[in-house]
Amino acid sequence: MAQPALELRNVSKFYGDFCAVNDLSLTVPAGCIYGFLGPNGAGKTTSLRMILDILRPTSGSIRILGAESALQVRHRIGYLPEEKGLYKKMKAWSVIAYFATLKGLSAAAARTRAFELLERYGLKDFAHAKTEALSKGMGQKVQVLASIAHDPELIIFDEPFSGLDPVNQGVLEEIVVDLRNRGRTVLFSTHVMQHAERLCDRLVIIGGGRRLFDGTVTEARRTLPRRVRIETDDDPAALGRLPGVASLNSGGPGVWEVELLEQADPQLILRTCFEHSIRLRAFNAADPSLHDVFMKLVGPSAREASFR
Amino acid sequence: MRYLWLVGWREFMENARTKGFWLGIFLFPVIILVSGSLPVLLAKKGVSTRHYVLIDQAGEFAPLIRDSLDRRRASEIDEALTSFARRSPAPAALAPYVTPGSSNRPVTSFDLTGWKQKAGSNYTDVPGFTVPRATWLEVPSPPDVASDGPIPDIENRLRPWLRGEKTLPASQASPNPKLFAAVIIPKDYATATNDSAPLRYWSDNTADTGLRDSIQRVLSDELRRREYQALGVDPAVIARVESRRAPVTDLNPRKAEGEEKVGLADRLRQWAPSFFVYLLWVSILVVSQMLLNSVIEEKSNRIIEVLLSSVTPGELMLGKLLGVALTGGVMMSAWIGSIAGMAFVQARIFASAAASGAAASNLASVPTDVLSLFQTTWLLPGFAAYFILGYIAYATIFLTIGSLCSTLKDAQNLMGPLMLLLMVPLFLMPFIPKDPNGPIATFFSWIPIYTPFIMMNRITASPPLLDVIGTTVLLVAFDVFILWACGRIFRLAILRTGQPPRIVELFRWLRNR
Repeated sequence: MAQPALELRNVSKFYGDFCAVNDLSLTVPAGCIYGFLGPNGAGKTTSLRMILDILRPTSGSIRILGAESALQVRHRIGYLPEEKGLYKKMKAWSVIAYFATLKGLSAAAARTRAFELLERYGLKDFAHAKTEALSKGMGQKVQVLASIAHDPELIIFDEPFSGLDPVNQGVLEEIVVDLRNRGRTVLFSTHVMQHAERLCDRLVIIGGGRRLFDGTVTEARRTLPRRVRIETDDDPAALGRLPGVASLNSGGPGVWEVELLEQADPQLILRTCFEHSIRLRAFNAADPSLHDVFMKLVGPSAREASFR
Repeated sequence: MRYLWLVGWREFMENARTKGFWLGIFLFPVIILVSGSLPVLLAKKGVSTRHYVLIDQAGEFAPLIRDSLDRRRASEIDEALTSFARRSPAPAALAPYVTPGSSNRPVTSFDLTGWKQKAGSNYTDVPGFTVPRATWLEVPSPPDVASDGPIPDIENRLRPWLRGEKTLPASQASPNPKLFAAVIIPKDYATATNDSAPLRYWSDNTADTGLRDSIQRVLSDELRRREYQALGVDPAVIARVESRRAPVTDLNPRKAEGEEKVGLADRLRQWAPSFFVYLLWVSILVVSQMLLNSVIEEKSNRIIEVLLSSVTPGELMLGKLLGVALTGGVMMSAWIGSIAGMAFVQARIFASAAASGAAASNLASVPTDVLSLFQTTWLLPGFAAYFILGYIAYATIFLTIGSLCSTLKDAQNLMGPLMLLLMVPLFLMPFIPKDPNGPIATFFSWIPIYTPFIMMNRITASPPLLDVIGTTVLLVAFDVFILWACGRIFRLAILRTGQPPRIVELFRWLRNR
């Protein structure tokens, strides 16, 4: 396998006595979309800042694009911070161009690239508008473009979808997939599971500064037992005695949730119902969603975690 | 280095795009120019004619007053006519009395006396010439005022006129004139002791006392003359005695033999540094404030994170310092350049006027003196050096304060004590020139944050070499220390949000990384 785009080994960060990130290890393979999931205050932003070498970890080591520090390879990295802001008095194109020159492009190349990006993502008419005149969503798009203007190999987005309407969320998803398809690595943090589910090749879930899960979306789903949800007015007690069923719980009047063991076949439930003349109004055999996985993993700790 | 420059250039362009920047650049010379010529302009054109009533119940002073004011008026007209005659091309009617300038007499001269002899009393009837409006114009008392009645009566009747509730009949000078002032001289004025029966001067304008002062001068002279006469002293003797002055010459031992006389140039040399200190103070403060605002902007909208993923905090800090220094430098150069330029142009004008033998006013040498001050002293290089060194110290401190705060309000709280410290050189400014190498001046020179201001103030007084070099070395060392310390704090503070840290915390930041 090629060299990973990013590798964290036993990284911890303390603010005084407070532990923001605790012994975090993870590997982001090159050329994938990697999700960085966790509730508020889980240590996502701190981790990203350490990855970018804006903050130094208290202990542990980070390798990014083969280098010790992100600053050594800063021209190959793009970054969109969580809180979005632009220079209010600058024009959209010149903000993009300015950040591109800070990443090593020449002034002329940066200018060309800025107009090219604005045109490609439908902001051509606003190229000469001051950023303070742009709507929030447009401003955020400009900022995304600014972070990828130098065509970086590794792009780090902190909460890129927050504040965007569904249409623009779609545009942003396109940008992300585009980047991956051209062989770039995209690492983004979010707490909206739908985006992670749709986009991520791999993901990590952290809570309270610790890694709770690392793997593909499918692997994540497998951490939870599969469930079948049925609706019936008859007594489904017979289902609970089946060999593949772990438990049978009431989910309200006439609604039941059947938790399956790893290898059980949902077809078995249907057959048993038929055999025991249990009349079904509804039958729903769905894999657990990333949302369920997330809630199960971080739910208890996230409630306790204080907002920082 | 490239990033330093990129950050700095953006900073400069951001400031250079604001209207305030250009206003600042152009407004300053305009203000200097206007404040120099405004009093002259105002005296001539700005004030409309003011009408007054003169009621002399004593019956012996009005002619004296009228005579004096008439003479003043006549000289105003003569002046206006002269400058009209010197216009190019010379007005046809006056041409015979005008001698145009030539290479050795560059200024046109006008033989006013000759023209008056020829034209007689109608000498102002020149085509194209308008007699300037009179500043003061006496009008007869209003019809309802009996000027020989009792004074309270007169005053009661005059009140509505003075308040502008009634207006005078239209005159040549003004369509609807208001009575500006009333002067009432009581019957026994000549025999009155100092305060028993004063002249009563009525006017709702207490700021413009020109008329009152003129009248008082005339009457004082007259009353004195009478008293002398009563004592049997010849007024001519008095005039001679009064013109006697105790002679004093200012001498300066530092100057070469034969040139010890203290003149205007020397006063200028003594006080010009104060102007530069003030300029230095204003510019450092304005520029540092810009820096503070720009850091807080970047911090509050989190641009700072993107920047820090591209450049190191050190590059960011130095880049911003550089950019704002450029802004300030351009502004300063424009200001000082405009002063020097103006002095240069005016010096040329006065030089040519002097060559023509025109009466040189004692202010005519000012521009020349300013120029020679620039050429022969360390004022300009000193200003440049102290601007840079002082700027580094103050701007870095302001920048760091900006990095510690997330809002302008927090920053203002922290700035309070700093501003108090900054006021000190302003308070000291009037005292330093009086004793530029005295203990106070020397003491404050050695405090690095005051070095630029105090040394600038002493610069034309040849301070001891030890002071010049010693304080500069100390200041440079202080700058290096500030850059180092603030660099450390900046790096840690710039990503912080919320409340600014406590002082104790800052010391901890300085000690470990």
